[in-house]
Amino acid sequence: MTSPVEDVEVVAARRPQPRRGVSLRDAGPPIALVVIFLVFSALSSDFRTIGNVQNIMDTAAVLAVVTCGITFVLMMGSIDLSAPGIMGASAIAVALLVANNRNDNDLGLIGILVAVLLAAALGCLSGLALVLLKVPSFMTTLGVSAVGLGVATLMFAGVQPNISDAMLKGWAVERFLGFAYLTWIAVGCVLLGYLVQRYSRLGRYAFAIGGAEEVLALSGVKVAPYKVAVFTLAGAFYGLAGVMVTSQLSAGLVQAGKGYDFAAITAAVVGGTLLTGGRGGILHSAVGVLLITALTNGLVQVGVSPYWQGGVQGLIVVAAVAAAVVPQRRRNQVTK
Amino acid sequence: MSTPVLATPAADPAVVSGGPTVGQRLTSFMPLIALVALLAALTIADPDFLTQRSLTAAVRTSAPLVVLAAGATLVVLCGGIDLSIAALCSLSTVFFAMWLPDLGGLTALAVVVAAGAIGAVQGLAHVLLRIPSFIVTLGGLSIFSSVALVISDAGPIRVVDRDATKWLTLYVGGVVPMAFFVAVLVVAAIALVLRLTPVQSWITATGFSESAARLAGTPVDRVKVAAFTVSGACAGLAAVMLVSRNFSGSPTMADNLLLPAVAAIVVGGTAITGGHGSIWRSLVGALVITLLRVGLPIVGVPSAWEQILYGAIIVAAVALTLDRSKVLIIK
Repeated sequence: MTSPVEDVEVVAARRPQPRRGVSLRDAGPPIALVVIFLVFSALSSDFRTIGNVQNIMDTAAVLAVVTCGITFVLMMGSIDLSAPGIMGASAIAVALLVANNRNDNDLGLIGILVAVLLAAALGCLSGLALVLLKVPSFMTTLGVSAVGLGVATLMFAGVQPNISDAMLKGWAVERFLGFAYLTWIAVGCVLLGYLVQRYSRLGRYAFAIGGAEEVLALSGVKVAPYKVAVFTLAGAFYGLAGVMVTSQLSAGLVQAGKGYDFAAITAAVVGGTLLTGGRGGILHSAVGVLLITALTNGLVQVGVSPYWQGGVQGLIVVAAVAAAVVPQRRRNQVTK
Repeated sequence: MSTPVLATPAADPAVVSGGPTVGQRLTSFMPLIALVALLAALTIADPDFLTQRSLTAAVRTSAPLVVLAAGATLVVLCGGIDLSIAALCSLSTVFFAMWLPDLGGLTALAVVVAAGAIGAVQGLAHVLLRIPSFIVTLGGLSIFSSVALVISDAGPIRVVDRDATKWLTLYVGGVVPMAFFVAVLVVAAIALVLRLTPVQSWITATGFSESAARLAGTPVDRVKVAAFTVSGACAGLAAVMLVSRNFSGSPTMADNLLLPAVAAIVVGGTAITGGHGSIWRSLVGALVITLLRVGLPIVGVPSAWEQILYGAIIVAAVALTLDRSKVLIIK
């Protein structure tokens, strides 16, 4: 709130004050990223090598793609726990559709496309259950995750499909400008996500739905189709991530997406996306992904057991959400 | 789950004045009907199913699920959700296996107390930091799994001293497995405490309308913390039951019980929006889920369909029991 004295002196100071807070929120995660890099560089000589930076970027690739998808859902104020199931289904599907040891399929790029479409269909399913049955998204996506895992187990049929497709295998190994192809795919996804978020009606409405759905609905926008579309888009991103995991492992695994749902939520929340929706975005989440990956990498480099990874993420997400809630404690009387 | 709640109660005099309609009565008995129908279907598919031996085996497997679902039901009745029960249960199996050599007969009690304390911490985090319950417990899930992995070195720990859990493998009257008997006893004890104290109305009030309950002087925060504590303690007890069956503690032993437990709660008819439901319903729900689990192979359905079925059941049951008057916008 501007005081009357300021009003008289500077007319331009009448801009709404909260902007200052927002800009601090936007600057926080990148600053934290730099701090983490500096701290671990000081602690570990292995951390501050070019090779390790490449390593961090390559490790972050899959998480970045998953986070692209989940960010749109979080922007709407919904939540998505379906990544493990959808990634599992698409990982097995793509392994069975490209050249592999289980059947004679050799569809190449078309196989990848089919797997991504299957994932998008599963995402669409959770969106439809949300808007048609009016079931809260954390329940629909928990259900769809189970369905995805079931579909994956059915296709898995007890024999692990190992891929022999040279192109898909190459994605994880071959490098361009020092980074694996997968990393460039992730960069492409972040760019695509940013363009959708910034310039398409879908992205703008996703923001608006998270900010004030009532207002959007009252101004005549049919919200439901956009919600379904957002979940479908998120599903497609998870599907691509499942394909990427298959490329890394050279085999299709049902558990391809285990833990990615929570890691992606952590990354998005740390990057500055609010779980209540309406704030944040793809670029915020991308910073969050780098932050989480650098932290995990750094902790391992200084000798912390890799099993702590999930625990650290859990603490971070609780702390980040608690910190984000502090400014609106009063308003937020009811917490479910 | 932060769902916008109506500031004023929805004006719906028809519901207030008239009793439940025939349709509503029927839906409230749905879990029991489903249970009987499943039993009948399985008996038709395999006449040997309705024998004492296979029924005893079925209720024996259901015991940990009943306890897990019963505890988490309290949290759901308050309008929250506890996604950490399965991970906490896994962690507790590790605790049990590690503490048994030192504590001997007291281990079971110690594990239940420790799990209850961990549950209380989650409840406090939810209430004091004002974080939605599903994000607290999702964080808890991740933390408990990783703690279990670290302290157990990511492998199962064998339980050599089998006398400590022998009592759970006995049979009451030669028929009812002790584990199931204990599970029903826990459900009855919780139900009795709820019935005889004001806690029942506190929980219902909190679940139906938290702000109204707060204004009416209900100790909402304490009720929620208590619900999380009981949920944690139940996860600990379920862990003791699992160890008595598997003779080992493992950091991932109970992880696949999360979906069945959530499914048991919603199939029982407890509304995910809070307020409506009961702990007995979850007992019936857990039996339905267990029958499905043991029944699918009998009918000849591959077990991969089990997961798909859980997913479909959860979404369908939540859609049926959801209190739509309370939620304006579904997030």
